[in-house]
Amino acid sequence: MLKSRTFQFVVPALLVLVLLPLGVGGYILGLLTLAYYYAVFAMSWDLLFGFAGEVNFGPSFLIGVGAYTAALLNHYWMWPIPACLAAGAVAAVIGGAVLAVPALRLTGPYFGLVTLVAVLLLQNMLVLFAGITGGEIGLDLPDVLSIDDKTNYYYALAFMTISGAILFGLSQSPVGLILQASGQDAIEAAALGFNVAKHKLAAFCISAFFSGLAGAMLIFYLGTASVGTVVDIAVGVNVIIAAVLGGRRTIIGAAVGAIFLIGAGEILRPLGQLSTFVVSAVALVVILFFPSGFMGRILHAGGRE
Amino acid sequence: MTALLEVNGLTKRFGGLVAVNDIGFTINAGEILGLIGPNGSGKSTVMKCIMGIEKPNAGSVKLDGTDVAGWPTHRIARHGVGIVFQHARPLHRQTILEHIKLALLPDNLLMLFTDHGITRRAEEIAERVGLGQVMHRLPRTLPFADLRRLELAKAIARNPKVVLVDEPFAGLTAGEVADFSALIGSFRAEGHAVLLVDHNVKGVAALVDRVLAMYLGEKIAEGSADDVMRNETVRRVYLGGKIETANRPDRAGKDRTPLLDVRGLGVLYGKATALDDVSIHIGEGEFVSVVGLNGAGKTTLFNAISGLVPFSGSVNWRGETLEGKTPGAIARGGIVQCPETRELFGDMSIRENLDLGGQHQTVAEAAKQLEWLFGLFPILKARQTQAARTLSGGEQQMLAIARALMMKPKLLILDEPTLGLAPVILEQLSKALETLRQTTDITVLLGEQNVTFALPHADRVYVIEHSRIVWEGDPGRFAEEAGAGYL
Amino acid sequence: MLALQILIDGFAISSLYALGATGFTLIFGVSGVLNLSHGAIMVVAAVIAWWVAGTFGAGPYLGALAGIGASLACSFFTYRVIVRPIQNSPSLPREEKEIFVLTGTLLWGIMLQEALAYLFTNNPKTVRPLIEGVVMIFGVRTPLNEILTAALSWAAIGLLYLLVNRTRTGKSLLAASMNPRGLTLLGFELSRIYVLVWAIYGVLAGIAGVLLGAFLGVSSDNAGTLTASAFSIVVLGGLGSVPGSLIAAYVVGYLETMTAYLVSPSIRTVPVLLLLVAVVYVRPQGLLGRR
Repeated sequence: MLKSRTFQFVVPALLVLVLLPLGVGGYILGLLTLAYYYAVFAMSWDLLFGFAGEVNFGPSFLIGVGAYTAALLNHYWMWPIPACLAAGAVAAVIGGAVLAVPALRLTGPYFGLVTLVAVLLLQNMLVLFAGITGGEIGLDLPDVLSIDDKTNYYYALAFMTISGAILFGLSQSPVGLILQASGQDAIEAAALGFNVAKHKLAAFCISAFFSGLAGAMLIFYLGTASVGTVVDIAVGVNVIIAAVLGGRRTIIGAAVGAIFLIGAGEILRPLGQLSTFVVSAVALVVILFFPSGFMGRILHAGGRE
Repeated sequence: MTALLEVNGLTKRFGGLVAVNDIGFTINAGEILGLIGPNGSGKSTVMKCIMGIEKPNAGSVKLDGTDVAGWPTHRIARHGVGIVFQHARPLHRQTILEHIKLALLPDNLLMLFTDHGITRRAEEIAERVGLGQVMHRLPRTLPFADLRRLELAKAIARNPKVVLVDEPFAGLTAGEVADFSALIGSFRAEGHAVLLVDHNVKGVAALVDRVLAMYLGEKIAEGSADDVMRNETVRRVYLGGKIETANRPDRAGKDRTPLLDVRGLGVLYGKATALDDVSIHIGEGEFVSVVGLNGAGKTTLFNAISGLVPFSGSVNWRGETLEGKTPGAIARGGIVQCPETRELFGDMSIRENLDLGGQHQTVAEAAKQLEWLFGLFPILKARQTQAARTLSGGEQQMLAIARALMMKPKLLILDEPTLGLAPVILEQLSKALETLRQTTDITVLLGEQNVTFALPHADRVYVIEHSRIVWEGDPGRFAEEAGAGYL
Repeated sequence: MLALQILIDGFAISSLYALGATGFTLIFGVSGVLNLSHGAIMVVAAVIAWWVAGTFGAGPYLGALAGIGASLACSFFTYRVIVRPIQNSPSLPREEKEIFVLTGTLLWGIMLQEALAYLFTNNPKTVRPLIEGVVMIFGVRTPLNEILTAALSWAAIGLLYLLVNRTRTGKSLLAASMNPRGLTLLGFELSRIYVLVWAIYGVLAGIAGVLLGAFLGVSSDNAGTLTASAFSIVVLGGLGSVPGSLIAAYVVGYLETMTAYLVSPSIRTVPVLLLLVAVVYVRPQGLLGRR
């Protein structure tokens, strides 16, 4: 039943998005392209939090590792884009595994702190070795995905759709069920015969894979890799807000939240400085009054009795 | 025939505390063993050691011949042990059927689709435990008894050799208990070995083949349910000894309007029934004891009166309802509870704990009260600068009572003050209570499992059992009427 | 000479950190909240103090008072509008309340930061010091203001200590951090205790913010780093332990100062972060942590 509600929402939405370039200008397409990559960031985060129950306060650590690995390989060794993307994803998975280790031994605020510290350390290291990494200014990339707005748009849309399908499918599969049980009560899940550590590690690695890959693709879209776009705490905060706004534990909601966030930020641009203020205020209101987020209400209204 | 479950020399220490000391028993196929003990007896720890949630320090746990002691929980589960936890929480968005399917899944990272075999098997199991009609509903929509059935279903899903059940009937109403008993009995019929862990023998007596009673980590009796209920040591541990009552002088004005009037009290924890239609009343100056085993509902009753849990029914204090008042206001209004867990401020000294009790009075009044209490409990005066956490159990209990008395309560509620205390301390406490009764006009509501302690002081006694009041009357008549069947 | 400079500067910065961290720990210990808008509230105090003293023209003392008043208001808002509703919300399962409170305070902190940047720009502002002039300590030129910063920080911490350990009200706060249910049983209203502790927090954060503004200057951009510092110190010292936070504040303060002077100011947070990672792995409860 859940599946069909989701389909009812997703299929028409995708149709609209696919047809959009026919009627809309390059600026908006560019915005949406960015939004689609953020959507993948947010969906990966939701898999980890909503299902495995692990709060990652520094998703930009995984995104940054993936992005910068790809960037450095392309900039210094001229690796072709697909190879860079693959390397970026692998590097992020290793990063995810590294984060998973303390996650399995620490609880609550301590683990959250580790994830936050990971981001701060990465950020500081990148700035410290600015000679190699380009620091705050960033690293220029010789290759880009495409120069054409429409092509970039479709790359991003396809990527988001495929990633979303995989992540959503996982969440609805038996593996997703086991993850959810592990996240809610590790002892009970173990008593049912599941190796919780193994499953949580897998969740970290999957989340890391998609985050890192999306980060790598993003920088090839933008043409530069800089701390501000892929590593900054602000990026992570946006990801978390997008996922919570959209509705945790829905995967699709995270994508909706990301698109809303980027869109809202843009619509409010004329307000100048105040745009971030307004977006944060709206997010706060949603958290206080609609904790299940946008999609939470829509998708689970059917499940209530 | 090898026993399905054979435990030998099981020992578990937590720091300096020996929770389980050299426990051993066997359960054969088609047998139900009851593991009984009051709070702190170690029975839950034994269960956790069997399931791998705690690693034993010594001993073996043989499952159909293989020693699984020290194995990780999920391996033990896969090897053939199913467990029903007391406080299991279902997932909100999955149907009953999906929960059972979860229990049937292999521990596989790559399983992306459920095969039909699993779905069919899950449906069979749902029917088996009586959830056939509701298997497509969400847990939120089902009553508590069905949720417990779900837990049973998950535990037996993979046909384990041994089934562990923690507090099988907790939260169920009397009617539901019968159904559940039958269900668990059917596991025995199928050849499983079943271990029931519970507070009292009486509740599981009809169901079990044998009973093992524990106290403070040690085995104190083993045998048939009847034998254990009659065992001297067991009765002493639970009841405190032979039931004696002293002659009570008649309290003047015993039949005046009650100070505290509780009617039709009902309390639910989530969906579990903790109290069912409980009514008690206390008159001014009376000493009323509510007697019952751990888990019967005494603490819940007191928490409802103190405003700490929501309830249905009515609680009237001095003619006015307590509904809607904050717990702080109720305490200030004269009802002061000294809970089972004592809730002391561990890092503060005795003096500081007592001072906090006297916060609502003037400095002079508080000082006077303090002096009087130091007279009642001299040892508190001697150790007044010591941190509460470092005190012995008996001293902590005295501190807790003294602190409550600092508030000059009209009604003092004492919840299981004797829990875990040595007989010598019980003497002192008993004497202190006696002095209290004789020198003040305080009204006392005492909740106890230890009948020997509770009876001598009481003007009236209530017996509470499995969330209901089952007897009320004079302490003198307790021994003949209620005492025999108490355990 | 350099060593002495480091010693003095480090002391002043550490004292300021200690004050900020104490407030942060207090809120965590009693109210159970890791307030991610902490840095923003401090900056609000500093900027309002600057504005009232300078642009508004009321002088440094009134400015300081206004700054503390502003942080007090922000603190109450944080408690009443964000923390309390989430903690009492019936629709959130218990495990998720923490992350919602964290996210809520984070968003509020961002709102404050952006509002400040909008109203006052994000240029660094320096609050005019309460005392002007310099003094020579063994050959090191030290602004009197710096000494005042350390002194006032410790005065505030000292007052807090006296409040908590010597007064009836203070003891009830201490008890609340140990056992809130125990207090309820003794007839206290926890809601009043929470209001009190957030009020004290508001004042502490305000003093810390104003002093910081006068000593080093602040800009709305600093809000996040200040929160991160407080968070790090509190975890290093042990969540919920005030003595631990005090010691950790000095460890962090000196580590940062030494790195800034001896290596480079731009990476002064790195050794602290590495230390934090080590602590979280090896001894997660921190130096003196109870929980």
